Amino acid sequence: MIRKSSALGFLAVAVVLVAFPFLGTSAYQVSLASTVLVAAILASSVNFLAGDGGMGSLGHGAIAAAASYGAGWASMQSQSMTMQIVIAMGTGILASLAYGLLSMRTNGIYFLMVTLAVGMVIYGLAYRLSSVTRGENGITGIKRPELLAEPWAFYLFVVAAFLVVTVGLLVVSRSPFGASLRGIRDSESRMRSLGYYVPAFKLGAFMISGTVASFAGLLSVWHTHFVSPSSAEVHRSVLLFVMVILGGLGTTMGPLVGAAIVVLVENVVSNSFERWPTLLGVIFILAILFARSGLVGSAAKLLERWRKRSDAGRTPADSASTDATVSGSIPSA
Amino acid sequence: MFEPVFLAQQALNGLSFGALLFLLASGLTLVFGLQRIVNLAHGAFYMLGGYIGVIIATTTGNLALAALVSMIAVGVTALVVELGLLRFVRGQEMPEVLLTIGVMFVVADLCLAIFGGDPKTLPSSAAISGALQVGTLTYPLYRIFVIGVAVVVGILLALVQSRTRIGAIVRAGVDDREIISAMGVNISWVFTGMFVVGAALAALGGTVGSGVLSIRPGTQNDVLLYALVVIIIGGLGSIKGAAVGAALIGVIDAFAKAWIPEFAYFTIFAPMALVLVFRPTGLFGRAA
Repeated sequence: MIRKSSALGFLAVAVVLVAFPFLGTSAYQVSLASTVLVAAILASSVNFLAGDGGMGSLGHGAIAAAASYGAGWASMQSQSMTMQIVIAMGTGILASLAYGLLSMRTNGIYFLMVTLAVGMVIYGLAYRLSSVTRGENGITGIKRPELLAEPWAFYLFVVAAFLVVTVGLLVVSRSPFGASLRGIRDSESRMRSLGYYVPAFKLGAFMISGTVASFAGLLSVWHTHFVSPSSAEVHRSVLLFVMVILGGLGTTMGPLVGAAIVVLVENVVSNSFERWPTLLGVIFILAILFARSGLVGSAAKLLERWRKRSDAGRTPADSASTDATVSGSIPSA
Repeated sequence: MFEPVFLAQQALNGLSFGALLFLLASGLTLVFGLQRIVNLAHGAFYMLGGYIGVIIATTTGNLALAALVSMIAVGVTALVVELGLLRFVRGQEMPEVLLTIGVMFVVADLCLAIFGGDPKTLPSSAAISGALQVGTLTYPLYRIFVIGVAVVVGILLALVQSRTRIGAIVRAGVDDREIISAMGVNISWVFTGMFVVGAALAALGGTVGSGVLSIRPGTQNDVLLYALVVIIIGGLGSIKGAAVGAALIGVIDAFAKAWIPEFAYFTIFAPMALVLVFRPTGLFGRAA
């Protein structure tokens, strides 16, 4: 199923990621790389839902924030680390269930609006329910497990998490469940008439995606030791979508590439260029107009064209089976 | 907590906020009804309109002029967005929505660059001052004026939609785009016109609304949430639905903020959830 070249590419990315802290990089760079990877995990959850399920969510930032708040609240109550993890994941998954139940009968634009609205409610709760969330000040001093206290140890843990999540989502995507999801994405009415109970599949997909997003929220709070209402802002969820589109919807490595671009613009370019949101907006608009399949998707297409040209006449039958990897176009459902 | 004066005051608060929501949501729902796109830059248009309105009102002291200038300026912005960007992705639902997100980023950030980060409110010289006095109840006249503006706009929109040729074309466009273009109407320009009108309504809301809620960075997201909830409850594309939804959400929000401030957001979410579960097309919406 998986082509040799993409497996090699995945392996190369893994090696580079693991080697990164040992290449004479500064502590700041390693920390930035952790930020990118956490964002990439979160973007992967959006990518899975939008790519395979055709469900564009604008609420995933708030799911991650719910998990972060779970960890923060548990740490305020001085719960044990295990309980902190359980409560964080529990809060995130509970939030996902609320999203999933409300959105499972909707599609396209309606889905987008419902997730947007639920995300804003979570933001509102984070902001207003100050007895639990400490309101605008947020919760500080949330610790990560002793084992991961060192920045490089945490970085390697995040790398492992990213690789596991990426492979895990790939496995789900290639399972019969993933195939049914793509069926629903392409024609909901056809799947319904084939006897599939569509809302259940949508809810299932949302729960998988939401669990990954909750995990990313936990990692994020372990990284920064801090959570505030701004992490639940719509802006965050929108940026996730920007990452997914920039990287290439439905591609395996798209979320990482997109997350790297967005995080670098937000953290590095912003030091010298104050109008970075405008820059990001313009990049996003250009990507939608001219590079609909994102950077990874466009690169794969170029590579494919180049390979076809060099293979011309030799093995024309071989290239037919590879189109599936470049399913980067935005579903217009 | 249940004194009649307090109840009346909160009800008026709710209705005036609902009036503002109607100005906001009507543009969004009209554009959706015709073009099937949710303009996520609508909140940013509201914000831009609010800033421009406040500046004109501060320099001239004339609210009507401020509203007019801001509607024209935002309308022109929307025209540029429509002709320069949206036309290239017409008919593709997701890219259209995503483009409006990009526009929202750019407009909101440029607003911050041009108008600064301080909250801006309508100057008292331009706002209608004074208060309504009924028994022990005193209520600012400006908020009554906001309700009046929304009622007038609502009646105008309904009349245009049901009584004029333009309204007939728009209604036909909602029902069957292909037939109306086969009958010689350039539907593409109808789309453009509706997008501009929707943005101008947002600008009107922003100018009038700046006397009730201050305009500041982040306003675009706050108002977008309320507008989305209103049109989900009312039914996408329905003016009547927008009016009922706006009044409902306005009143619920006012009482929730007074009684259970910690859960204020939650209380507007609950009716939306109920509507989605029991009537996914909204109170007055039709199945797509």
